[in-house]
Amino acid sequence: MGHMLSKFNVIGPLAASRLKKKKKKSREVHTFVFTSRVPLSRSVDDKNRMFVARSIAADHKDLIHDVSYDFHGRRMATCSSDQSIKVWDKGGNGEWTCTASWKTHSGSVWRVTWAHPEFGQVLASCSFDRTAIVWEEIVGESNDKQRGQSHWIKRTTLVDSRTSVTDVKFAPKHMGLMLTTCSADGVVRIYEAPDVMNLSQWSLQHEISSKLSCSCISWNPSSSRAHAPMIAVGSDDSNVTYGGKVQIYEYNEVTRKYAKAETLMTVADAVHDIAFAPNLGRSFHVLAIATKDVRIFKLVPLQKDSSSSAPTKFEVQVLAQFDSHNSQVWRVSWNITSTLLASSGDDGCVRLWKANYMDNWKCTGILKGDGSQVSGQPGALSGVLGSATAQSALNGATGR
Amino acid sequence: MSSGYKPDILWSPHHADRYVICDTELSLYRIGPAGSPETKAGALPLSEQTAATLLAINSDTPYMKCVAWYPKHEPECLLAVGQANGRVVLTSLGQSHNSKCKELVGKEFVPKHARQCNTLAWNPVDSNWLAAGLDKHRADFSVLIWDISSKFSPEAVPAEKVRLSGDVDSGLVVTKPLYELGQNDACLSLCWLPRDHQKLLLAGMHRNLAIFDLRNTSQKTFVNTKAIQGVTVDPHFQDRVASFFEGQVAIWDLRKFEKPVFTLTEQPKPLTKVAWCPTRMGLLATLTRDSNIIRLYDMQHTPMPFGDEVEPTIIERSVQPCSESIISSFAWHPSAQNRMVVVSPNRVMNDFTVFERISLAWSSTTALMWACGRHLYECTEDAGQGAAAAEKDIATKMRERAQSHYGHDTVQVWRNHVLAGGDDPQLRSLWYTLHFMKQYTENVEQKQQSNKQSLIYSGIKNIVKSSSGTTETRRCWSGSDRQTDVPRYHSEERSLALQLCGWISRGPDIDVEPFLKSLEQEGEWERAAAVALFNLDIRRAIQILNKGASAEKGDLNLNVVAMALSGYTDEKNSLWREMCSSLRLQLKKPYLCIMFAFLTSEPGTYDAVLYESRVAVRDRVAFACMFLNDAQLPRYIDKLTYEMKEAGNLEGILLTGLTKDGVDLMESYVDRTGDVQTASFCMLKGSPGEVLKDPRVQCWIENYRNLLDAWRFWHKRAEFDIHRSKLDPSSKPLPQVFVSCNFCGKSISYSCSAIPHQGRGFSQYGVSGSPTKSKVTSCPGCRKPLPRCALCLMNMGTPVSSCPGTGKADEKADLTRDKKLAQFNNWFTWCHNCRHGGHAGHMLSWFRDHSECPVSACTCKCMQLDTTGNLVPSDSV
Repeated sequence: MGHMLSKFNVIGPLAASRLKKKKKKSREVHTFVFTSRVPLSRSVDDKNRMFVARSIAADHKDLIHDVSYDFHGRRMATCSSDQSIKVWDKGGNGEWTCTASWKTHSGSVWRVTWAHPEFGQVLASCSFDRTAIVWEEIVGESNDKQRGQSHWIKRTTLVDSRTSVTDVKFAPKHMGLMLTTCSADGVVRIYEAPDVMNLSQWSLQHEISSKLSCSCISWNPSSSRAHAPMIAVGSDDSNVTYGGKVQIYEYNEVTRKYAKAETLMTVADAVHDIAFAPNLGRSFHVLAIATKDVRIFKLVPLQKDSSSSAPTKFEVQVLAQFDSHNSQVWRVSWNITSTLLASSGDDGCVRLWKANYMDNWKCTGILKGDGSQVSGQPGALSGVLGSATAQSALNGATGR
Repeated sequence: MSSGYKPDILWSPHHADRYVICDTELSLYRIGPAGSPETKAGALPLSEQTAATLLAINSDTPYMKCVAWYPKHEPECLLAVGQANGRVVLTSLGQSHNSKCKELVGKEFVPKHARQCNTLAWNPVDSNWLAAGLDKHRADFSVLIWDISSKFSPEAVPAEKVRLSGDVDSGLVVTKPLYELGQNDACLSLCWLPRDHQKLLLAGMHRNLAIFDLRNTSQKTFVNTKAIQGVTVDPHFQDRVASFFEGQVAIWDLRKFEKPVFTLTEQPKPLTKVAWCPTRMGLLATLTRDSNIIRLYDMQHTPMPFGDEVEPTIIERSVQPCSESIISSFAWHPSAQNRMVVVSPNRVMNDFTVFERISLAWSSTTALMWACGRHLYECTEDAGQGAAAAEKDIATKMRERAQSHYGHDTVQVWRNHVLAGGDDPQLRSLWYTLHFMKQYTENVEQKQQSNKQSLIYSGIKNIVKSSSGTTETRRCWSGSDRQTDVPRYHSEERSLALQLCGWISRGPDIDVEPFLKSLEQEGEWERAAAVALFNLDIRRAIQILNKGASAEKGDLNLNVVAMALSGYTDEKNSLWREMCSSLRLQLKKPYLCIMFAFLTSEPGTYDAVLYESRVAVRDRVAFACMFLNDAQLPRYIDKLTYEMKEAGNLEGILLTGLTKDGVDLMESYVDRTGDVQTASFCMLKGSPGEVLKDPRVQCWIENYRNLLDAWRFWHKRAEFDIHRSKLDPSSKPLPQVFVSCNFCGKSISYSCSAIPHQGRGFSQYGVSGSPTKSKVTSCPGCRKPLPRCALCLMNMGTPVSSCPGTGKADEKADLTRDKKLAQFNNWFTWCHNCRHGGHAGHMLSWFRDHSECPVSACTCKCMQLDTTGNLVPSDSV
């Protein structure tokens, strides 16, 4: 495994300079393509504006704190300050219908997340009431299904936290059925269901103390055997005098414990959300952070002696940093190929970011939180999905 | 409220579109959509959507210190103004005065001793009551509650005080307050308590907050604190009060008044205003002096249930409504969600909405869902958008390519680039390379030369290295007798490389004519001309260029180039040479450029050709194989390979082949693009032994399969698995289910032994043509009968008679499909849970109308047990 990682250390000066040259050339092509598209995209926009972003009657009685899709994107869960969770199913016509809504916690529900469907239809939620709960959909005795309603029952309540549980995430499926929580008192807990058929049994496997109030966690989704299980933890501690609001922990096969592999010292402001990009067989990891700006980090694993118990060392690069949300950034989310990043922030807008072939990240779409269009933005909506800038800029430059 | 002459702002309690700015005068504005006919030309833009129109100005009341808007509908636009001398004046703005208003406007309420009026508050219920908080004056009271309906009392008014108020009719002056509170103290701020309108919360100079009940003014509850400014009650949680001192805000719970529930983080500058959002729970806005930021505190949870005290989570946010300019004051809109207007010291106003924290998520199918406040929005991929393919995201591209069977054409391998959309030069190059490799191995197979076969997939880099027996020739320019001074190199390996580059088809003779013809057909004139030239055929090159110029949409400039070309001379110091080497740099088309570079270069120094990055790699490599000697060639190829690997350029697969080098190259391609689809299909073409075992390749394949699964492209995934197992037999999964006989315990599936395993989760029965067909209703081991179908009660294995309810019109439409499904009807299926089952066809038709198991007294809801089973693959049509 070591040999293939090593190549990142040895970019020769010759190759580097040549790369730079190429980059410049294709960037010209890229901008040309972009500007020439502006009038076209506008007209497309006007036609499609209505159905590009559409509103769904959520019917929550208070703020919605989280939305989460299942693996296939056919189901969705929302949670709210009204202490309830709603589950939505997408019909054949593409319309979302709420098929379950129930009161879950005795406090605001911060986050809700789906397990991989191979573990059944399983949700986990976490709340201000200091608990995290695992829910499973069951086939009810009544004819719920006929009425279009499904039935969810509480499988377990995890009560180890003494403070508000701020985030909950299932581990990648290749690790088995594992659940992670983090709480305001700075503890990250990793639970495992040893028997995936019995969701009422969860054992606390690891407790990691991050020493800072935790606000968010993200698992590295890479299933490659070259990458040890890894979790990133963000802190909303608002004291900006010290950095390191993002910590990365890695599982060590030898000690069978999670150990801190990296602390991002440059992140000093409160972190509100954190997301590892789907790895998709890449040799490095990409981490998006929502703090007072959108930040994208690249973590390149350096060669490691597989027998040593020391955690992997990383070469950490900042790929991008955008403060166009003006102030706080609340959420970041990657698409399935980690080629598009969506972020939301204090300006009330959802912004989409995309890299061209050489990791030059650009904003490719802006949508207002209420679904309306931002005026004066060239191609604000057309650029949103499946379009705008691409690696083919390179191809255009190098010829056939 | 306001201090000095900094403008303050006040929303009308009843008109959602009106507000007042007060500094030295009162100005009433109406807010409306920008650019609408209502808003006139003089409207001030407040935001992109809204503008304000000035309706009225009132400058009757000088020395304003604070203003409060009368809370009742009638009379509208009645304002109480507290002045620097402690007087409170009622005034109005721009209204046609009705009788009631007339009676009130101009009324003055005068304290015994003149001092500054700090704050005013109307009683929310008994709207005749107006509380005024004043500075301290010896032992006098600092809070006076006036009844605005009370009549004047002339005898109490000293004459000189009447004069002070100028021309105002002395009949409107009131000097006797209803209540007097706060003796021997000053009042900095006050508010009425909405829970009990007789109660008043006062903040005095003596560092205390006190609650007075007007029914018994001698009693009060009070608490000592520094935070005595700007007391204000949370409109959503009436026991919660905020007050501040310098930079710190204290939040109080009136039920536990002894100490603040909590204090907010201190700000470096003194606060000037603190206000609860009237439209949203637990949102407090604060403003400090000389700041351009409004800081918001989002108290996410009302202090409530469980026994012990838990501090609510507070999310701090700051907003900058008007970029750099300093904010003098702000006011929440009374009804519009989270909206406020801010005003700067020089009266620039800004309409502004505080947004909720938006949470968002991508679905696997590239739909974006976000929640804003209580609302959900979904932004879905719009297939008909017609965005140029080059600009699509790779996720979209992979989905489209999967649906067009990209990668599955194993006969005409090059066609895969067409299936991929045909617009990506790198993919085109890759699939042509793989095509040529495959073509060659097929030829070689006929010749039984297996040693070459392994070489071919290891790329030109390795082929060239193994080169031996290179011969050097000097050929003539065709059509002339003169020998060129250009040495050309030949070897078996070099001609093999040329074949992989696609320049020649097969055999040892180098005949590029078929290649030139195909290039001509595709209209690649410049490239064809360059290839012809490199084969030392100037005449053919000129002919091609002429053809190109006269072709449809041809470039007439090609004739000019042909002309220049025809003047070629190998004279070293000719004018032709001189001009060509300088002017060729101005040629835009790379192939024309390298033609002249070749003609003007010294033999053996072809850097201008070899490092022209706009020229396709395969052409440069072919050129190198012809004109670089055995020392130069491997060096050049190595350098180029390294470059391609670093850039992740798929054209480089030609050089690396499907070796470890190739995987390295593919790795940087995947790193750059995320295109695991191409990576998987490409690596599957390689020799199974080496590259497929590479963990990176396995990882790409797993990731690609996972993507297909997430998209519900299950059929595509299955097809991919079949495709994969053909090329990589080790990936074939084992049978997953066996059915054993109830009596003898042996596996009953003789189909498994007779023919390869088919289907997952089912054992196939009733295979037509099977010699044991007559006996399939019994166990092959012990000859005991098999279980019966729960519906037809026949032993399994019996051919199924068509069941009622299935022969619908839609099935008739497609007879072949019907036949295929009829086979499936014979399959033995059962519920994993209750273990009842029968013929698949019978079961399906039963569960079309029922949810419970067909076996009597079994209440198992067999069909609903698996939610994934209810999902429809999205690629089935």
